[in-house]
Amino acid sequence: MRRQFQADRGRIHGIIIATGAIAALWAVVAVVLGRPFLPGPGAAIAALVRLARTGTLLVHAGASLGRILWALVISFLPAAVLGLAAGRSRRIDAFVSPLVYILHPLPKVAFLPIIMLLFGIGEISKIILVGFIIFSQILVAARDSARRVPRQLIDSVRSLGATHFDLAIWVVVPATLPDLLTSLRVSLGTAIAVLFLAETFATQTGLGFLIVDAWSRIDYPEMYAAIMALSGLGLGLFVLVDGVERLVCPWRPERI
Amino acid sequence: MVAVRGLALEYRRSGGAASEPVRVPAVSGIDCKFRSSAISAIVGPSGCGKTSMVQAIAGLLSPSAGEISIDGTVVSGVRPHTAVIFQDFGLLPWRTVQGNAELPLVLARVGRAERRRRVESVLRELGLADFSGFYPAGLSGGMKQRVAIARALVSEPDILLMDEPFSSLDALTREAAQEFLLQVRRSRPMTIILVTHSIEEAVYLAETVFVMGGRNPGTLRKRFDIPENRMEGRFADGTVDFRSTPRYLELCGSIRAALRQSGGIDDGATA
Repeated sequence: MRRQFQADRGRIHGIIIATGAIAALWAVVAVVLGRPFLPGPGAAIAALVRLARTGTLLVHAGASLGRILWALVISFLPAAVLGLAAGRSRRIDAFVSPLVYILHPLPKVAFLPIIMLLFGIGEISKIILVGFIIFSQILVAARDSARRVPRQLIDSVRSLGATHFDLAIWVVVPATLPDLLTSLRVSLGTAIAVLFLAETFATQTGLGFLIVDAWSRIDYPEMYAAIMALSGLGLGLFVLVDGVERLVCPWRPERI
Repeated sequence: MVAVRGLALEYRRSGGAASEPVRVPAVSGIDCKFRSSAISAIVGPSGCGKTSMVQAIAGLLSPSAGEISIDGTVVSGVRPHTAVIFQDFGLLPWRTVQGNAELPLVLARVGRAERRRRVESVLRELGLADFSGFYPAGLSGGMKQRVAIARALVSEPDILLMDEPFSSLDALTREAAQEFLLQVRRSRPMTIILVTHSIEEAVYLAETVFVMGGRNPGTLRKRFDIPENRMEGRFADGTVDFRSTPRYLELCGSIRAALRQSGGIDDGATA
């Protein structure tokens, strides 16, 4: 417990120091360059505070967060279930693996026009695009991780009279959970990048919209404020996944 | 009694990413009987099919020929009162000592209160009561082994199969674990079948030692009876250490010779 607390504190210190270093570098470059498109961090933070006060920030950040969470809801569980099943069953794998080989290397963003033609230019298309990306990454991670579950663990639990369902619940899911959460972290990064792109048109909400909107209004401090907010959203989601991992994988002493 | 008749086993080895798995013969033509309430040992070099034998008796691997019966009933799947302890103990890293020990009862859909009661008495008996909240990663090898034994005992087995149970322990812990096994056996009339690399271990613990040899398939080569190790005799007079008698050394020598004849001794990794 104490070690965990110290590790937490260490990590928070690390984030603060890194943030400070980036802000300092930013301030120096802004002064040296002296151009309007790169205001100092002070101006950007002031714009961020202004956006937060008027409630604008909450609306846009909420919209972005909502899209990511919905994308997670529709993609994570189906991808995990299908991937784990494929990793443990030759028959299911025969169907899933070809799908993986075709889907995974594709740049999913390129499907945006097709998705929009199919689902319209509204909210659903954005959620499906982000969900598509998370789905593909989780599917691969789940399949590979399920394949690596030690044979001996499976055998030892089978010898206690476990059914296939028991094995899935008591062995395969907990064994693969850390890998699933790691790949979730990775895919969240990609998801945010793609979300930005999806929010640059056909919407009036989201941090991606706010960034491009501020850019077109030549309100550079606000543009940087929105970029900071989007980064903050990413950081927040990372910390959230960390927290979830600590909660559901308490047996991993090496996790910090 | 565990009776093995004309047993042949195969296992599947995947032949690469795309190709179909290959069937490899593990053992063939095995006939033997393991006496009830006795400790029997199977010794043999790596790859002779010892582990496949354990899996077959446990009902995890179906015979490709022949059959195994336990007290007259043919084994056709996992049996509730057969417990297996694997080389790396097979503990689930994400469950505590308590959680691992109660797993057989969880799988048998036994209620929480009943589970707690039965697990608690076994943990106390094995000296694990203070560690019930620990995860396996926080335990020494010897302690993990005890947890594995606890998990086996919780299902109240009449047959206990052990696949190289002591091989990952250091020498001193290993001797302590052997004594521990005898002590556990003393309080319960289980049939124990022990697979081991160690001739010394087999001769010290078992009243019947089966020597296997060959590879793909392995076969049964020889059988040694050690009446000195019968449970009745062993516990009547606990003062003499069998390992210090000439008879013990002589048996070790004979078994070593039998192993050499059957295709060599190696002390390497398990099959």
